[in-house]
Amino acid sequence: MARIGVFVCHCGENISATVDCGKVAETIGKLKHVVLSTEYKYMCSDPGQTLIKEAIKEHNLTGVVVSACSPRMHEPTFRKACAEGGLNPYLCEMANLREHCSWVHEKNELTTEKAIDIVRTQVEKVKLNSALQPIKVPVTKTAMVIGGGIAGIQAALDIANTGHKVVMIERSPSIGGHMSQLSETFPTLDCSQCILTPRMVEVAQHPNITLYTYAEVESVEGFIGNFTVKVRKKAKSLDEKLCTGCGLCTTKCPQKKIPNEFEQGMGMRPAIYIPFPQAVPNRPVIDREHCTYYIKGKCKICEIVCPTKAIRFDQPDEIIELQIGAIVAATGFDIKHADFFPEYGYGRYKDIIDGLQFERLASASGPTSGVIKRPSDGQIPKNIVFIACAGSRDPAKGIAYCSKICCMYTAKHAMLYKHKVHEGKAHVFYMDIRSGGKNYDEFVRRAIEEDHVNYIRGRVSTIYERNGKLIVKGVDTLLSSMPVEIEADMVVLATAGVANSGAEELAQKLHISYDSHKFFAEAHPKLKPVETNTAGIFLAGACQNPKDIPDSVSQASGSAVKVAALFSQNELTREPLVAVVNRMGPPLHSTCVGCFLCQAVCPYQAIEREDIKTRDGKVLKSLAKINEGLCQGCGTCVALCRSKSIDLHGYSNNQVYAEVVALLNEY
Amino acid sequence: MNNLISRAKELLESKTVNVVIGYEAGPTGLARPAFITDSAKADKLIYDERCVQNLAVYLTKAEVKNFGKMAIVARLPVMRSIMMLISEQQVIGDNLIILGISEDNSLLDIASISVMQGYIDKCDLGNPSKDREILAELNKMTPEEKFSWWQNQFSKCIKCYACRQACPMCYCIRCTVEVNQPQWIPVQANAHGNTEWHILRAMHLAGRCISCGECGRACPVGIPCHLLTMQLADQVWNYFHVHAGTSDKMNSVLSTYEPNDKESFII
Ligand SMILES: Cc1cc2nc3c(=O)[nH]c(=O)nc-3n(C[C@H](O)[C@H](O)[C@H](O)COP(=O)(O)OP(=O)(O)OC[C@H]3O[C@@H](n4cnc5c(N)ncnc54)[C@H](O)[C@@H]3O)c2cc1C
Ligand code: SF4
Ligand code: SF4
Ligand code: SF4
Ligand code: SF4
Repeated sequence: MARIGVFVCHCGENISATVDCGKVAETIGKLKHVVLSTEYKYMCSDPGQTLIKEAIKEHNLTGVVVSACSPRMHEPTFRKACAEGGLNPYLCEMANLREHCSWVHEKNELTTEKAIDIVRTQVEKVKLNSALQPIKVPVTKTAMVIGGGIAGIQAALDIANTGHKVVMIERSPSIGGHMSQLSETFPTLDCSQCILTPRMVEVAQHPNITLYTYAEVESVEGFIGNFTVKVRKKAKSLDEKLCTGCGLCTTKCPQKKIPNEFEQGMGMRPAIYIPFPQAVPNRPVIDREHCTYYIKGKCKICEIVCPTKAIRFDQPDEIIELQIGAIVAATGFDIKHADFFPEYGYGRYKDIIDGLQFERLASASGPTSGVIKRPSDGQIPKNIVFIACAGSRDPAKGIAYCSKICCMYTAKHAMLYKHKVHEGKAHVFYMDIRSGGKNYDEFVRRAIEEDHVNYIRGRVSTIYERNGKLIVKGVDTLLSSMPVEIEADMVVLATAGVANSGAEELAQKLHISYDSHKFFAEAHPKLKPVETNTAGIFLAGACQNPKDIPDSVSQASGSAVKVAALFSQNELTREPLVAVVNRMGPPLHSTCVGCFLCQAVCPYQAIEREDIKTRDGKVLKSLAKINEGLCQGCGTCVALCRSKSIDLHGYSNNQVYAEVVALLNEY
Repeated sequence: MNNLISRAKELLESKTVNVVIGYEAGPTGLARPAFITDSAKADKLIYDERCVQNLAVYLTKAEVKNFGKMAIVARLPVMRSIMMLISEQQVIGDNLIILGISEDNSLLDIASISVMQGYIDKCDLGNPSKDREILAELNKMTPEEKFSWWQNQFSKCIKCYACRQACPMCYCIRCTVEVNQPQWIPVQANAHGNTEWHILRAMHLAGRCISCGECGRACPVGIPCHLLTMQLADQVWNYFHVHAGTSDKMNSVLSTYEPNDKESFII
């Protein structure tokens, strides 16, 4: 015989201000099988919980209904209290009198009546609850970091240093990301390569890190602690064990005029190439799209010159399958290029470049060895214009957000220019200067005050060419929108930071959310900034939104801690609120007919096929089976199954039916 | 017909199949299903306008499955039913030989499931024209008129479940109406419960009905319940451009999702 206890909470005045809690408790107390119905000001407080624990013992309760706030708020609290009182926690239900009633209605009789109805449904439900045991799933203590920029590098090193294995997947031939392209970095102006390269080498040499470059994630299945990831290792056309990285092949390749991605198209590279001198791994790959052999079927010069015979023209892509416990997405960002801007000539003018191109011009290892030469004729620009917010904060261009890094790197660029071209003039058009950050505003002030960069507050409406000069037309809004015209030798656009190519596809493979700009979405903007809404998958760096290096690195360390916390457990416990396919004795075995339509509908790939066999292996019946580890208890399959062969623990058809019937019946 | 008989004999004599499922003339002259296991009896097989039953319904019955390899006389609706049953993993295509019958009642040469698919693809897959006309009339009614028209029809239902038994896609070993934990559909025939039953059956066949009309034909009190599932078949075509029973791969519209699916039906 069911013995139900009902505890009505006032939630201070949150509930009792509009609901007559006394009347609710009294009315419910008269229902069949309810042996105790009482009210209290704060059920979640210590005395409140003690009330429940003692009532369970005193009244020998078989079920508890706490009529209070949303189960999202306090279900774990009350289930735990019940467990401590000696009742299986899944015999405790919550009736939501706050969000579903007191907060949304005014004080009157109907509100109290509705509260009574809500409690009644839960009383009927809890009578049918069964004691459930939590599900235990093992944790695979290997992390995967996707993307080898500074964020991925930091996350990988931090996780590896806690003693856990890490697999890093980088789609380009080398790790390093955008930071490897930068010349010097704000706010300290230290050389980017100098601080990055040691970290890259550490990744390659770390005993706990396995690095796959030129590789991409093919598919992700499974769930927190137990992901199965397929990785496509694109063919490098090289036996990496034999190659010594001497680079002879790259000097002999007849293809020499392929735009160099690392130099942002401002230099050329051969078809077999090492992306940059400090690349990790320092081994070449053959770009099959441009290699003479793959295009024409003849050449193989690299194969002939290679002293260790490491070239493999027939190497196929390789798919490897990895068991992974947690994933850090660190795939970074990209920027818009000059061709995005009609008002600046759609990229027609060679001397209008973007920020990354400027980084390469300013870099000692760049195409001009660090001398600022303009692309059209190699002259050193005497008059240079930087335009901040190119594309950013411009809803008309579809990018309403602030790219966050541009104000700072523009100040850096102007400063670097002034340091290199002392007699030159640098102008910056800006909307606002956003330099929040440690030593950031000081840095911008230095550019203005010490390096005499001319800051003009206003937008540039158009740029066109006249007699070999770029005519930059804008306004100075601090001088009552006075028109400004500058004859520039070169223009640098601080273009908007955007999501990296392939971000959307990857998010879909990972089943994580992304925003309308295809940046990956955090689980909570304030309290869960490194988690995604898929358990076990975390974020690091600019894949979430444009960020500078300090922010990327901090977030990477944050996600590493989350991974380490997960790996500190040998087993995860999961709520047993999962679906089950019914089973019974022979000859039926189950009412499932094995149509497997549910398999297609399950959003978590939790439904498998099970064959019931005789002892000698003859298949008597094939039916659906739900993997408890994967099932998220969404109930989609329950709704789909025509023969009602699937039921959901904790929300069984019987329970839900009883709730509905309770509402239809008089009491 | 002679072609059909000689082909059936050949299959049975060579032991390619253990049974041929077809039609024979009953004592009153109506056609009825025949299960021929002995080639000497193959002469009983008939094929003409009288042969309307959808024989695919037998393919999922345990007694029939026990025959192992079988041949089945199949017009378009039967072929489409077979496709559905293969896609829902109820029938193994390799165990079946299709004795296809064309629109003009001649024997088709259907060597494999993919040949059958090719044949189906060339056919008109919409609802039969007489049903289309009735549906057009019904669709002219206001929702209230339509509801009361159907209420009137359902009031005749005696819950014999002949519609279900006749439908090849109603192969569940335990139908929802037999589930009593909870009792979704009342056992007795009453206005409310009858409506619930017909809505439930129609929904279970949405995107799966291949428009054979067998359910309506089977109904002893003349409820045109096939119009419900046919109307849904029409809508599935309009929304998703899928005809049921055209592929042996799972293509059930109600359990698959494509990013470009129309969502105009969500209000
Ligand atoms: C012009 C410019 C100047 C800057 N100057 C400074 C500065 O002075 N100081 C500062 O603090 N910050 C600066 N920044 C910002 C800095 O570049 C970023 O903060 C930093 O690069 C972010 O690192 P990340 O690892 O998140 O992303 P990224 O550097 O973009 O690295 C992402 C990595 O992931 C890889 N990847 C992408 N997709 C996939 C995939 N699907 N699978 C596998 N791998 C993938 C990429 O190949 C890349 O290696 C500047 C940015 C720009 C544009
Ligand atoms: S559980 Fe239901 S939907 Fe799934 S295979 Fe079985 S009968 Fe089909
Ligand atoms: S309840 Fe949801 S997650 Fe679980 S098996 Fe069914 S459809 Fe999949
Ligand atoms: S018409 Fe009736 S019997 Fe034929 S498939 Fe559709 S629902 Fe089944
Ligand atoms: S009505 Fe539904 S549950 Fe019943 S046999 Fe048909 S498909 Fe199965």
